[in-house]
Amino acid sequence: MTEPRPPHWAEAFLHLLLAREHRQTVSGDLLEEYRENIHPRRGQVAADRWYVGQVAGFVFSGNWLWAALFSGSFIARTALDWFVPTSDFSARSKVSTAIAVAILLCAGFRAAWQSGLVRSGLLAGIATTFLSAVISAIGTGCLLAMRHDAATFAAIQGSGGLAEVFTLPILLVIPGMLLGALGGMLGGIAGKSIPHRQS
Amino acid sequence: MAEVLGSFEQAVLLAVVRLDDEAYGRAILKEVQARLKREVAAGAVHATLSRLDHKGLLVSRLGPGTEIRAGRPRRFYSISASGRRALNDARAVVDHLWRGFRWPLKGAL
Repeated sequence: MTEPRPPHWAEAFLHLLLAREHRQTVSGDLLEEYRENIHPRRGQVAADRWYVGQVAGFVFSGNWLWAALFSGSFIARTALDWFVPTSDFSARSKVSTAIAVAILLCAGFRAAWQSGLVRSGLLAGIATTFLSAVISAIGTGCLLAMRHDAATFAAIQGSGGLAEVFTLPILLVIPGMLLGALGGMLGGIAGKSIPHRQS
Repeated sequence: MAEVLGSFEQAVLLAVVRLDDEAYGRAILKEVQARLKREVAAGAVHATLSRLDHKGLLVSRLGPGTEIRAGRPRRFYSISASGRRALNDARAVVDHLWRGFRWPLKGAL
């Protein structure tokens, strides 16, 4: 009888998330638990769900810091636009765009440098922007709960409106993917010349 | 002064000490779950092990794979001298904080 296997795509995702020196050992640990404990007790569907959940945990633990930085800068910019309104957004836009680009490049770079796989950068870009879209939505909601007087609503309208604030973080997933991939390429090159620490 | 440890880091280090020669990723995860009496994500344990390893509180070596792991190796961890020192310091701090109290605390809030 063939041994049960978790979803192929989830295993491939996990490989992209792990540093090269941990790729085989950690995926082996999860496979052992999946086959020896989870699959016999819960069956194929629930075991696959468990495995995907574990991979999601790796996505979170590998990218939460970048997502926190990214959403922090987004929420700070939103707060500035709402509470210190201006008619000229160009300087603010340049600064916040530069910060966002730097964070995504770093996320992609680090992921690819650790894993030795350029594709890890792409995944880091998607994960960072996706997680930060969730955090940004919560943070923006908190800002709105803190201040919702007429002057604040006028400032919100003047800076693009509420719809933009809630949809922009989701739309950033695509540029996030591209910048993550670019960071990943740089990380891949750096990984070849400056080897990642082996434990 | 040794490294200051968080409670999850202490749980992971103590699991490594308890498991002795059998301290590899999956066994550590199960030991931590059993001690904390809750589900713990493998990613959280792995991130902590990597951090402790990076700080020099753990040392690791590779062991052979098995059929159920599709031949993938196990990484076995053991505590280093500085890891032991950090655990002892963490325990000493808690003991010092509790000195003079009887456990469990009683009385109205």
